[in-house]
Amino acid sequence: MTILVEMSNIAKSFGGTAALKGVSLALAGGSVHALMGENGAGKSTLMKILAGVHQPDGGTISRDGRAVSFGNPADALDAGISTVFQELSLLPNLSIAENMFLGREPTTRLGRVDYARMNEEARRALAELGLSLDPGTLVSELSIAERQFVEIAHGIKADASVFILDEPTAALNAADVEILNRHIRRLKGEGKAVVYISHRMDEIFAICDTVTVLKDGALVGTRPLSEMTPATLIAMMVGRELAALFPPRGAEAGEEVLALSGLRVTERSKPLSLSLRRGEIVALAGLEGQGQQKILRALVGQYAPVAGQATVKGKPFALPASAASGVRAMQARGVGFVPEDRKEDGLFLGLSIAHNISAALYSMRSELSIAGSYQRLIADVMQRLQVKAAGPGAPAGTLSGGNQQKVLLGRYLAAEMDVLLIEEPTRGVDIGAKAEIYRLLREFADRGGAILVLSRETVELIGLCDRILVVHGDTIVAEMPAAAATEHNILDAALSA
Amino acid sequence: MAVALDNSTVRRLLRIPPAYYVFVLLLLVLWIARPHMLNLNVLGIFVRQVAPLGILVIGQLLVMRVKSIDLSGGGVILLINYCISSGTFPGASMGFFVVLALAIGIGVGLFNGLMVGKRRVSAVIVTLAVSIILVGFVQYLSSGKPPGDVPSMFTDIYNTKLGPLPTPVLFWVALSFAMWLFLSRTVFGRFVASVGENAQAAHFSGVPVERTVVLAHVLAGLFAGIAALVQTASIAVGSVRVGLDLPILAVAATILGGVVFGRGEGGVWGPFFGVLSFALLFVVMTAFGIGESGKLVAQGLIILLAAIFYGLRSQRH
Repeated sequence: MTILVEMSNIAKSFGGTAALKGVSLALAGGSVHALMGENGAGKSTLMKILAGVHQPDGGTISRDGRAVSFGNPADALDAGISTVFQELSLLPNLSIAENMFLGREPTTRLGRVDYARMNEEARRALAELGLSLDPGTLVSELSIAERQFVEIAHGIKADASVFILDEPTAALNAADVEILNRHIRRLKGEGKAVVYISHRMDEIFAICDTVTVLKDGALVGTRPLSEMTPATLIAMMVGRELAALFPPRGAEAGEEVLALSGLRVTERSKPLSLSLRRGEIVALAGLEGQGQQKILRALVGQYAPVAGQATVKGKPFALPASAASGVRAMQARGVGFVPEDRKEDGLFLGLSIAHNISAALYSMRSELSIAGSYQRLIADVMQRLQVKAAGPGAPAGTLSGGNQQKVLLGRYLAAEMDVLLIEEPTRGVDIGAKAEIYRLLREFADRGGAILVLSRETVELIGLCDRILVVHGDTIVAEMPAAAATEHNILDAALSA
Repeated sequence: MAVALDNSTVRRLLRIPPAYYVFVLLLLVLWIARPHMLNLNVLGIFVRQVAPLGILVIGQLLVMRVKSIDLSGGGVILLINYCISSGTFPGASMGFFVVLALAIGIGVGLFNGLMVGKRRVSAVIVTLAVSIILVGFVQYLSSGKPPGDVPSMFTDIYNTKLGPLPTPVLFWVALSFAMWLFLSRTVFGRFVASVGENAQAAHFSGVPVERTVVLAHVLAGLFAGIAALVQTASIAVGSVRVGLDLPILAVAATILGGVVFGRGEGGVWGPFFGVLSFALLFVVMTAFGIGESGKLVAQGLIILLAAIFYGLRSQRH
């Protein structure tokens, strides 16, 4: 195996904080190299240095054995290093082909842009990824997953031999991930080097050969993945074992607080029923996008199912619920909905922590009533959640991801909900904060609450929950105690349905 | 270190609504150049002139905090002014006119609110269209001729004073105070802050978003109705032009007061001082003998300043 790129002793500081402290990384041709670490470990900074976006304060980069330095992204691209960053950088008002050839459009002899050639080449690049999109389509008309693919096609099209993929699957569903993986394997077969950044264990083990782990800007180690298991990899990232992340499961469940019966998510899907009791945490698991989110959102009117009935604490009501007032009506019944996208749908980033925590309390009252300040309650919730902040007056947007998520959960703890419906409880949160959030959710259940949760990370659902409902084809196909569940038998149950 | 300190000071100073700076600056100009103008009687007359604008601004700041806008105030004021001064309702009592004005204001506000809040139509287009329709309606009714005299009971009340302070000014201050209390003490005030910051998050936290927007527009309509009564009382003879420049001035005063779309650091008193700045500006212009055309230029400059300030602020977020 030839070493295509070698980075040694790379150091980089922003302001006073050191983002990277002497990190070395060697990329071999014909291999997929995983880069792992908690948020803020320095993965993205390291890759941005390799892509020429940042310049290192110390250390050297060599390309095919010769020392190089990249002053800007164009230099890196010229050296055959192509990058797909996690932020989408396509221009929505241009077509797919125009985006892919931005700045290097082919021209005809008269100096006009050669659209025919541009569209043809773009079509070919897309076809290689298994996409049959029309290159003339405006990017604004594409789904997020399609945009991600166009971005990847854009990067791969350039004639490069080193590819950096920074969380390329964040917006992709399982089928799309498989297409991407096929393409990565093809690149590998052609002797190219691929750097793969992802938080998803299953992907890392499915596609990568080597893993380098960073922690707090320093190198922890580089190992062949064949020697690793998910547990040892996590232990390497956080310095402790996976099992220590999860609190012990609940003792036994109490009375039923929430039930769904005869819920038909779509015209074609089979009706489903489920029951949630006090003291339990129940997961909706399965392959991504099989209807878990629709079931959860149907309860609060954010998805309209065909038919069904929900029962909260003995009181039945028909579904679909109203889209405009569903969330509010459920909150009045003691059922809180915690949306997945905390920045867009969850928090008021510009307003104080206090306002964010008390929001649901106010929502349960009429407009003209006097608003209390709930000072003591807010202080109490912040302490219970161990929110790290300057004080209750600090804007929520100034907090780290983990603390933001705690504030969002704190809103529903303050409002004393009986049931929480949670989408992705720890999305974009580092492992330390994850453990704290798991502890909080378990405490909530131990006090007599009930939680229905979905997550893309199956490992998280197995560790956190009491019962697992496997969802496939917009209905529930199996149920198993979480203690006996493994990723394998969940997948098995989903696919054999 | 010095740079960082400088930055945070600059940021803190930028947080103060520009209305306060403009107000202090104009006060200083007056104090240096024409100190004799700085007495309550002179200032009272000028401040009384902007009382209708000030009352309109109370509604404007409310809708702007829920990321909407109301430009229909001009049409509302014109229609109410016409109803009172045209003699369409001969011998009607004061109470009748007050109820009529408030009903027109609330009706228009409700229409705006339902269009903006429930149908999600652009607020600028809806309220501007409503204003144009009302103006056209009044012109049709009056055939372009000035309507007639305003009943003297209006002007009589308008000219009363409480001590040295004109009643309309006190009325404006009282209404501002009421709105301040309403926004800072009620659950509705929290809903307004939530919807302005992030309507989607407000929806998911259980805030009745549509209802909040509709209610804000209804209140803005109500304040436009009250502003129309005060504006009508300030002129003895009805007009088919009265109040048409007020909505844009109200938007400018609101932005100047630190309430930009969705953000409300300026509260109620920032825009209040925005309006006072307009009053002081007229005093200064008059003191320097600058005529109507110069005042228009200065008004335009202030609106421009407000827009620039708004742009500056957005970049920092």
